[in-house]
Amino acid sequence: MNNQEKLVLTGNQGIARGFYEAGGLLAASYPGSPTVEILDNIKQYKEVYAEFSTSEKVALEVAIGGSFAGVRSMASMKHVGVNIAADPLMSFTQTKTNGGFVLLSGDDPGMASSQNEQDNRIFGKFANMGILAPSDSQDAIDYTKAAFDISEEYHLPMMVNITSRVCHSRTPVVLGERKEVEPRKFEKDVERYCMIPPHTHKLQHSMKERIEKLQELAYDSKLNSLEEKEGTDTLVVTSGLLYHNLKELDLNVSIYKLGMIHPISPKKLRELADKYERIIVIEELMPVIENDIKLMGIPCEGKKYFSFTGELHSEDIEEGLMKAGVITEGKSEKRPPVESVKRTPLFCAGCPHRPIFDILKKLRKRVIGDIGCYSMAMFEPFQASDSIISMGATVGITKGMTKANGLTGKSEPLVSVIGDGTMFHSGLPGFVNLLHQKDENDNMTFIILDNRTTAMTGGQATAASGNYTSADDMKVDIKTIIKAMGHENVREVDQFDYEATKKVITEETNKPGISFIIAKRPCALKFKIQENTFYVNPNVCIGCRNCVKTNCPPIRMKKYHNIDKLKSSIDPDMCAGCSVCAQVCPVDAIQPKGQHPDHSKKGSAKYMRQETQKMKLNNEEQE
Amino acid sequence: METINIMLGGVGGQGLVLTTDVICKAALKAGYDVKSNDVIGLAQRGGMVWGSVRIGEKVHSPNIPAGKTDIILGLEPLEGQRWEHILNKNTKVILNTKEVYPTPSLLEKVQYPSEKIKEFYQRYEHYLSDFSADAKKLGNAKAANTVLLGVMAQFLPISTDIWKETLRENVPEKAIEVNMKAFDYGYENFKPKS
Repeated sequence: MNNQEKLVLTGNQGIARGFYEAGGLLAASYPGSPTVEILDNIKQYKEVYAEFSTSEKVALEVAIGGSFAGVRSMASMKHVGVNIAADPLMSFTQTKTNGGFVLLSGDDPGMASSQNEQDNRIFGKFANMGILAPSDSQDAIDYTKAAFDISEEYHLPMMVNITSRVCHSRTPVVLGERKEVEPRKFEKDVERYCMIPPHTHKLQHSMKERIEKLQELAYDSKLNSLEEKEGTDTLVVTSGLLYHNLKELDLNVSIYKLGMIHPISPKKLRELADKYERIIVIEELMPVIENDIKLMGIPCEGKKYFSFTGELHSEDIEEGLMKAGVITEGKSEKRPPVESVKRTPLFCAGCPHRPIFDILKKLRKRVIGDIGCYSMAMFEPFQASDSIISMGATVGITKGMTKANGLTGKSEPLVSVIGDGTMFHSGLPGFVNLLHQKDENDNMTFIILDNRTTAMTGGQATAASGNYTSADDMKVDIKTIIKAMGHENVREVDQFDYEATKKVITEETNKPGISFIIAKRPCALKFKIQENTFYVNPNVCIGCRNCVKTNCPPIRMKKYHNIDKLKSSIDPDMCAGCSVCAQVCPVDAIQPKGQHPDHSKKGSAKYMRQETQKMKLNNEEQE
Repeated sequence: METINIMLGGVGGQGLVLTTDVICKAALKAGYDVKSNDVIGLAQRGGMVWGSVRIGEKVHSPNIPAGKTDIILGLEPLEGQRWEHILNKNTKVILNTKEVYPTPSLLEKVQYPSEKIKEFYQRYEHYLSDFSADAKKLGNAKAANTVLLGVMAQFLPISTDIWKETLRENVPEKAIEVNMKAFDYGYENFKPKS
């Protein structure tokens, strides 16, 4: 095998490469797992305009603009991102596509990193798009290119639907050249681009016709492949990674691999149904392909043998085919997992969220959480997040609960936490909405965790990052925005000054009305804390575990030589130097290295106070 | 050649994704078909992460079939032990013994299972060291995974030249020298037991 021209790429890198080779010119996204690396990778191509937009809705709209203007454009997002982008999507897909348009949706069967498991193939069908489903990185390149060609030829918006496993899996690929595509013109045509009735009446028909035409392409398209075996009466219809998982089993069944999962050619399926006794559909999540085939009046089976949730590995496919009676014995050596200590995710060493949730836990507040690294506050030991629904939902939910509590005599102060990225994504409308029917007895405290980073997805910029680093260009000042809305009570804190932060949170949660607290420390992973690390003096430590309860990765109790009781310890290789442990220590047993222990000062709080001055927290109105 | 299946278990932040990438690129350079997975979950740091690499003449699924793991690289002891259910009696266990406590152990709710881990690796042909400490002595604790790769390289049909070339192309320039040393250290100091 000659591997000279071959490379290994992840599926995400493959999509980025396919976009490039297809002559793509404009790409927009919002960071989300499993698709975040697509735009990260597209950014390497100088010919292309690429942006992480403030939300998936905006990203989709930017890509629509690119397509209108006649260039090949792509919006990429995780599956739940399509929910917020659904409004422009459902109207846009009615239009006769100008420049090639691809919506890349990353689904997450098994929910490795998502709040739900929705099957976005349903969305693609709902929006009358053609849908391609790559099985590996080479498909990711080829299908992205094919999607653009189809989109332009059929004037149809295309979805490329990829699953998390294919996004992250590495497989060999052969690269092609970039094909420059002549941009099309945007010509004024209100029937084509202005989605109001009666224009939309006609478009219902043209959308249907486009899909019917694409069914003809599906009949003998190279995107779909048929592998027939002698001596079998069973045809398995499958797509994506499941094709490779099935091949792994090396069974005596014929396989129809769908690269294009919507639309499917009824003519082709009828021909196959005449030839095979049984058609079995293997697909993850919803029975999308199975139902389509059944709607053609062709009998087939699928979900009765395979799970509706989670991934389908080779072992699951074997088990299902045994249930179906297609094979009589399995080779699988599947055993249940061994007993092992769980490793739940936790805040990084030096994470600025840690002191906030340590304080909220100590104050025993009800906390309405949101999506971001701070979702992890729901885990032990903080357990300081009582609900997590979707991006920005905390704001409306906090208001609704407060109003409902007021109506039913259960008044309770509520704390809402939201990150800066999430706030720009979809928190701002909720903040405006708080101004409506304000009641001075309502007690809501909104803590904005302004770490200037979309941290959970790997440190992409937010609209506030430019305030902290010249590498980013957006410098939106959150305090100015909130005040401009008409909210009066807005305070800023440096959460590495633990006591001062605790005082502000205590004051604001104790007082009725709407309060905003902006916590200013940046993400410790993206912006390293340039400070001394800390150590525990075991002779001073009283073993109270206040530091351990902040759940910092390097801090744990340890047996020291010549000391009976366990005392706290800090792994110097992991400590980031945030000083929070030193500040919660009641006896000053935790000290910075390289400085003389000074028991009259609390850890490095003095230093942190100086930092606070440097950060110019803008609280003059309150003080 | 029979397909070789390599499992990797580690903690978020230990560099598992880069390690998986290096193995894939080296295998491809050596002329093999290769497929891999990484599953990194929610956290950037501190959570459980794992990966798998399959190397052979023709590889279909990137997932290792149950019980078919040939080599497990435990970048952390507990994260090696966690995958025992997909090993078999011939699996080689290569384990970095530097413990990273998970939350239940940091909070003293569950003892870190040091004894259980010892029983685990003793059931297999094993190669152990505090590879982080070894790498630190060689110049940078972050090169720990490269020591593991050096140990593993003895069992794979990929030349040391290819491994080193791949490392050179994939680690930061200033870390090339320490990674070369780390690879040699692993390759030379943990001789095959079978």
